[in-house]
Amino acid sequence: MNQALGKSINRVLQSKSYVVLLLPLLIFVTLIAIYPLFFSLRISLFDYRLTDPNQTQTFVGIQNYLRAFKDPVIFISLKNTLIFVLGTVVSELILGLGLALLFAPETRIARFVRSFLLIPMALPPLVVGLVWKSLYNADFGVIPYYLKALGINVGRGPLGELNFAMPAVILIDIWQWTPLIMVILLAGLKSLPNEPYEAAYVDGASRWQSFIYITLPLLKPTFLIAFLTRTIQSFKVFDTIYATTSGGPGQATTVLNFHIYTVGMTFFDMGYAAALANILLIVVAVISIIYIMVMSRQQY
Amino acid sequence: MRNKLIQKIMYSCLLLVMVVGMVGCSTPTAAPTEAVVAPTTEAAAPTKEAAAPTKEVAAPVEDVKKFDGVELTLASMTDQYVSAFRYLIPLFEEETGIKVVMDELGYVDLYQKLTADFVGKTAQYDLMTVDIVWSGEYATNGYTLPLNDFMARDAAVTNEADIMPVAWTLGEYEGKQWAYPLAGYANVLNYRKDLFEAAGITPPTTQEELLAAVKQLTVGDQYGIALLGAKGSAVAQDYMSFLQQHGGSVLDESGKVALVTPKNIETLEFFGELFKYAPPGSTDYWWDQRETAFRNGTVAMMEGWSIARAGYENPEMSSIVGKVDVTAAPVSAGMEPKYGFGGWGIGINASSDPQKQEAAWEFIKWITSVDIQKEWVKHDGAPIRRSTLEDPELVAMYPWFPLMLNSFENGDGDYRPRIPTYSIIENALGTYVNAFLVGQETAESALTKAQEQVVANTK
Amino acid sequence: MIQKKSSIEKIVLIALSVIAIIFFMMPIYWLITTSLKFGRDAFLLPPQWLVFDATLKNFREVLSVDKTFMYIKNSLIITSGTTVLSLILGVPAGYALARSKSRLVGNSSYFFLLLQMIPPTAMLIPFYLIMRDLHLIGSYTSVILLDTIFDASFVVWMMRSYFADVPKEMEEAALVDGASQLSAFFKVAIPLSIPGIIASALYTIIYSWNDFLFALMLTSPKTKTIPLGILASFSSVEISWGKMAVMSIFAIIPAILISLFLNRYFVQGLTAGASKG
Repeated sequence: MNQALGKSINRVLQSKSYVVLLLPLLIFVTLIAIYPLFFSLRISLFDYRLTDPNQTQTFVGIQNYLRAFKDPVIFISLKNTLIFVLGTVVSELILGLGLALLFAPETRIARFVRSFLLIPMALPPLVVGLVWKSLYNADFGVIPYYLKALGINVGRGPLGELNFAMPAVILIDIWQWTPLIMVILLAGLKSLPNEPYEAAYVDGASRWQSFIYITLPLLKPTFLIAFLTRTIQSFKVFDTIYATTSGGPGQATTVLNFHIYTVGMTFFDMGYAAALANILLIVVAVISIIYIMVMSRQQY
Repeated sequence: MRNKLIQKIMYSCLLLVMVVGMVGCSTPTAAPTEAVVAPTTEAAAPTKEAAAPTKEVAAPVEDVKKFDGVELTLASMTDQYVSAFRYLIPLFEEETGIKVVMDELGYVDLYQKLTADFVGKTAQYDLMTVDIVWSGEYATNGYTLPLNDFMARDAAVTNEADIMPVAWTLGEYEGKQWAYPLAGYANVLNYRKDLFEAAGITPPTTQEELLAAVKQLTVGDQYGIALLGAKGSAVAQDYMSFLQQHGGSVLDESGKVALVTPKNIETLEFFGELFKYAPPGSTDYWWDQRETAFRNGTVAMMEGWSIARAGYENPEMSSIVGKVDVTAAPVSAGMEPKYGFGGWGIGINASSDPQKQEAAWEFIKWITSVDIQKEWVKHDGAPIRRSTLEDPELVAMYPWFPLMLNSFENGDGDYRPRIPTYSIIENALGTYVNAFLVGQETAESALTKAQEQVVANTK
Repeated sequence: MIQKKSSIEKIVLIALSVIAIIFFMMPIYWLITTSLKFGRDAFLLPPQWLVFDATLKNFREVLSVDKTFMYIKNSLIITSGTTVLSLILGVPAGYALARSKSRLVGNSSYFFLLLQMIPPTAMLIPFYLIMRDLHLIGSYTSVILLDTIFDASFVVWMMRSYFADVPKEMEEAALVDGASQLSAFFKVAIPLSIPGIIASALYTIIYSWNDFLFALMLTSPKTKTIPLGILASFSSVEISWGKMAVMSIFAIIPAILISLFLNRYFVQGLTAGASKG
């Protein structure tokens, strides 16, 4: 009897009522976003320069996409983007989990600290970049000052050395966005059920064991969100790079989105910029979908 | 056409949904009516109408009533002169009845915001400060209004002869004035007179002496010179500035981009040599860090815009009060002295409606007039007129004005070419000169690659 | 959290917390001291952390000249508008995605993901043109609309994962008791997902609070937000660090207050979660 009831409820639940809940957002988003998406797709097939006084748009087919394969900066910037994304997402997930566990207890201090950890996120990334650029400065920055005091040779400073510029920029991103991962994971931790832990306790599991075998698997959906969000945002990084290194020294920190900005807003080559943006979109989409598929296969 | 209609209907429906949905968040304040911009279709043809006012030359300028109730929006860079605007705008409003709303924007946002405004023909801003290097781009696209008709009409009152000839480069392109001179900056050499005295040397008068002085004054934690080395416009502009002082150029005689010349390579090597005597972090210095290095007392010399000069005597900002003097930026030995010139013009949006354009011209005339220029300079503005630079009261306040006058007289506003492709040249130099400085490229390969990048993007 | 911690463990935890706090707070503390310093002292070495020639000059200047409070008001309006709208649209949609087994509904989640991936630099001009045609440039609405696209797309994903964790049985029980599906959603599912909603809200608040690109393009002098106010401290010659620091502090304070307030609901979420069992 229970089964029959469950079935009929399921049928109701799967009927249109869900569509009613989904539809407002779907309509809203489609209306606003569809034109820019279409615009960007269309313009990527044209040779269109903003600086052209006649504003002519010549149809060139997939020429802009083919051009990308010959662009020497693309491969450098794609490589840099992947390093940046990997570096930031992995460290932020690990550190964010650490922070979430560290400040999960509902003590007064933990709650207080948690609120203050959100400050980095409340600052515009451009300002964060400039502040860190000053802190990193080899000649009057705070960080090299203490490094020098420890006897470490800082050379041109973290942002000026070819090998250190990328890690230095990654550290800025970690500083600003790890707290976000903490918030997301914290919310996940807080909604975990108690029973499995009680059961594990009864079975004599250590806290480490219950962390590995209960907490982590249960947190998986939350991890997925945290991972996707940061991956997507990391791929789009622009302000931090713009404010600190402008992609330098040389091309050491030129990421794809920075290159798109240069092509679009410095060369005003809108068609090519749109093509590059679509390539970036495809790269992110492929990576995200692979990740989602891997995660969901493990889940069920 | 039909698609557009459908689009509009869809958006209107959406808006309706929004209004209903946004209960309680911002209904009373949403969409302030004053902010609605000039309808785009009408704005498309303002250039034709703009020519019309010239016919009514007879209309007396004193007829201020005709501007009553006109409100102009000015986009201003937050350079020092912004405080002069703050002080003067209320006086202008009182005098003419024209209201001026000023939007203060940093260098990063001003350019982007203006580009969107021009491309969308939204005329959010009627007046805007225009960097000298933007003139070519604005002219080719017709973003700002050519002012020559206005200038010819009012030549009797503007006393153009008094404006320094080089100042006209702030907005000139191919014979037309796309922005009016507003604030002129000269490239000068700031130096620490105490350090020079202690070392027993005189300030350099040639680039060769500069290098020698830089070497001599680099002792321990003290460095010879502060330079701009950061990738992007910073390093590109500093290199072009030294190029100018060595007699090189990024363009050949026919006006084509020619970066790989013996002179340019030689100057780049000289530039690299200077960096050996600059603070170690120099390869990521922007203007801000260069200023800090000088104000902190880390370096003995710094080339830079004259407008920063007053700041060195402000004890709240600078640790080197009273220890600084300024001299002409040295050129290579045997060269005719030529000094880098830059700064800001003020332009009128080509998409604004004619009445506002007329009022905007009224503002430009007023702010650049002989009397007001004196107040302008007193409140941290930068000079463009000979009468201002020679004014005894101002010279007493700013003893370096005679030097600036000399720099203006021999000023070169073209060392950063004011052509539409300027940003492409600057970008290429910004990348590869920086790569040279950090040891990724040789002088020759850096310029060759920069040249290739410019060619690839300027077909 | 059930078992007791050893004292070594406690010391390690405290040490880690201190390191984390120093790392995250050092740049902020630097900003605060900079706001109280004269320009000449901002970059003096050795760094002056505690003792320096303090001044309120920067605060006085910012408060007398700049329209800081107007910027904050505008930021608050845009942020609250975006947050409310994103939650109203995103939370139910997330629920639908979590519960519906229809393929179409499930696949639409990828569309929301895709939206978040769009590089905004490439979208600026078309967005600007749309808002121009709607005569919305310079209004709060335009910024709220665009921010909501990206924020609501996030909320959907976030809430989908939280609703997936909420056991269906409770809603089914409510349905048996005669509640409608909508009231099961409002009365059962939502209260159980408060932590997720709070986290989503924090995310939208953070992103719309420091959104720079859309606000830059779409606001007028009267609707400017606080990040744009901060940017006005960069001239072509220098950065006015004192002014920038003061503005940054004004930008931080509301964010702290909001998060202090929201943090309390994490606890409520916890108790709601506990009552599940």
